[in-house]
Amino acid sequence: MRNSWIIAMRELKERLVSRSFILMTLLGPLVVLTFTYLIFQFGGKEQQKWHVLIVDPANIMEQKIMAGEDPNIQYSFANNYIEIEQFAKEKRFGPYDAMVEVNEKVLSNKSCFLFYREKPSFTMSVNIRYQVERRLEEVLAKEFTKLSVSEFRKIKQPLNFAFRNVYDPKNATGDLAGWVGLFFGAVIFVFIFLFGMTILRSVSREKTNRVVEILLATAKPRALMLGKILGIGLSAFIQVFLWILIIGFGLYLMRETIFVDIYDASNQVEGQVSDYNQFVELVFDRVQFGVMLFYFSLFFAAGYLFYGAFFAALGATSGSESDGQQFLIPLILILCFALYAGYYALENPDSPWTTFLLYFPFTAPVVAMVKLSIGFTNGDAYQLFVSLFLLLAGAVLVIQLAARLFKNGLLQFGHTLRLKNIILWLKVR
Amino acid sequence: MLEIHELTKRYQRKAAIDQISFSLKKGEIFGLLGPNGAGKTTLIRIINKIIEQDSGTIRFNGDLLQQKHLAHIGYLPEERGLYKQMTVEAHAHFLGALRGMSRSEINASLDYWLNKFNSTDWRKKRIQELSKGMAQKIQFIYAILHEPDLLILDEPFSGFDPVNVELIKAELQEMKLKGKTILISTHNMRSVEEICDRVVLIHQSRKVLEGRVTEIRESQKTGEYAVRFRGNMIAFVNALWIGFELVDKEILGDDRFVARVKMRGDNSFEDLLKTLIGQVKIEAAWEVLPSMNEVFIATVTTENDEK
Repeated sequence: MRNSWIIAMRELKERLVSRSFILMTLLGPLVVLTFTYLIFQFGGKEQQKWHVLIVDPANIMEQKIMAGEDPNIQYSFANNYIEIEQFAKEKRFGPYDAMVEVNEKVLSNKSCFLFYREKPSFTMSVNIRYQVERRLEEVLAKEFTKLSVSEFRKIKQPLNFAFRNVYDPKNATGDLAGWVGLFFGAVIFVFIFLFGMTILRSVSREKTNRVVEILLATAKPRALMLGKILGIGLSAFIQVFLWILIIGFGLYLMRETIFVDIYDASNQVEGQVSDYNQFVELVFDRVQFGVMLFYFSLFFAAGYLFYGAFFAALGATSGSESDGQQFLIPLILILCFALYAGYYALENPDSPWTTFLLYFPFTAPVVAMVKLSIGFTNGDAYQLFVSLFLLLAGAVLVIQLAARLFKNGLLQFGHTLRLKNIILWLKVR
Repeated sequence: MLEIHELTKRYQRKAAIDQISFSLKKGEIFGLLGPNGAGKTTLIRIINKIIEQDSGTIRFNGDLLQQKHLAHIGYLPEERGLYKQMTVEAHAHFLGALRGMSRSEINASLDYWLNKFNSTDWRKKRIQELSKGMAQKIQFIYAILHEPDLLILDEPFSGFDPVNVELIKAELQEMKLKGKTILISTHNMRSVEEICDRVVLIHQSRKVLEGRVTEIRESQKTGEYAVRFRGNMIAFVNALWIGFELVDKEILGDDRFVARVKMRGDNSFEDLLKTLIGQVKIEAAWEVLPSMNEVFIATVTTENDEK
């Protein structure tokens, strides 16, 4: 194990100072943050200009609203009752894109509805909501307290108190949370592929430049293979960690500076968020990052060991750096299938096939992430641990077999890798 | 020091080495000879525990060879390879650590050897910045960095210029005097004659010859003598008459020749000299021993003919 560690450390140092590692570490999170920003900013839609009618029969808002900083929204007020059907069908309401219904009990029930003709963009919905809410806060502060509006806002703290059915965690948000799980699973597989390829290239390069013969004279093939997988794996972990750190910090900055209103809106009870951009709500409120990241790390490590051994064996058995490509294709197909399995699990979380795919080591990491984010039904949480155990057991088995291929193939040079080579080297102990 | 007993390794059905036995004594330089594909590299890899034998045993200082013994073995493979991005120093630390050395031991040893090879300014250089010869020298240093008791060198002189070949030879002789055992696999027969105490010749996976270099050459001598003289070649041949046979001649220029002669009947070396004195001016005369190259070719050819 000592030699494995020495080899791993050399590998790690080489990776950490390589340009591609540094570039990938910085560019990756920036791309993710840019996409997140774009989704936040535009909510997936083009910029809209709206004329909003505020129906306020009790004249609570006194036909006032925050100073119109937003040139895209124009407000009008009505102090009589307007039925939804009237608004929908009557010509006189045609110029209005949306109607906000402020009922006379709004100060006590804190419930408000917006009826739209065309689904608002994320920015639009947040802005209307923010502006109406700020005006109502002024009224609330004046009506019920002796505080100034700014003092009132200062002491108003959101309590994010979500009620969930313990037997039915797959509520309306289940699908979206599942997508987050699929995203986590996809990240695992992207990193497994990227760093698996690094293992493959590194092993075949050592074969080509013959360093391997000196290494084998000091360390056992298994120690060499483990060292390689471990070293490159550690660099992968460091990269993922830095990604999480940079993305986390970026999201925090966005919430605190660019999208302050998003943060402010988070003190809404459920039911009022139906029009709210679910992605934002999902990112900032609903995903349990702590739990997800914990299991993400476990499944990432186990999945990486499992697949890493395949890449190492492929690198060791190929005759040259360019050889072995034909055996890479099945491996890539398996990785793609694993992603599909994650999608299948998202669509059919309770199917027996999903359970099988959860236990099947090739697909376990991504399916486990999806299942975890959707939530296991009562008493089924043990499946996660069974999946992890089977994945680890699979990794141990694959490492044993890969080590045999590694040992027998490592000193074979200049050949073209064929299936019969692999079978033969698997047989030789 | 190292006892190899009936070692056999087969790849599928073909034997790479077959029932090979020999032993190395402490403080000797041992030559492992054989044509390409004879099984030398397989044998070296087995000694380095890179691959495992199918049968037979290897004993290192009396114990069955184990992984732990590798810390006492140094290895310079024929195909040289290093991590090109690493500096000379970092690479030494990596390989030294794998051999179980501490940082201070590695630094001290590296200082010593770089100094000895007048290469101290290479320390911080990347391997890719070194010339091929420099890299070869560095790799030789890495093989002996941990002062191994047994040093295995596969074609150690290939890639070196004549100056460095002599440098390496001198170093090997010095190591031998310090009691280190050296196993050299090479095709360079002149080097074998110069530095090897004993050799083993492997051909088609089997051992065909083993012994001390001088004894092997002695055992294969053909009774030829060489005479270097100044004078007339016709006079020289006439003097030989029927008592001796001229085998070969070499013209050195300025009426100087080297002639190789075989005795006929009961004639001796003394008789030859008596016959020639007065006919030509003898500068030197000696008994011709076959070179290791001739021994090698003769043995391999005979073996091939027999098969």
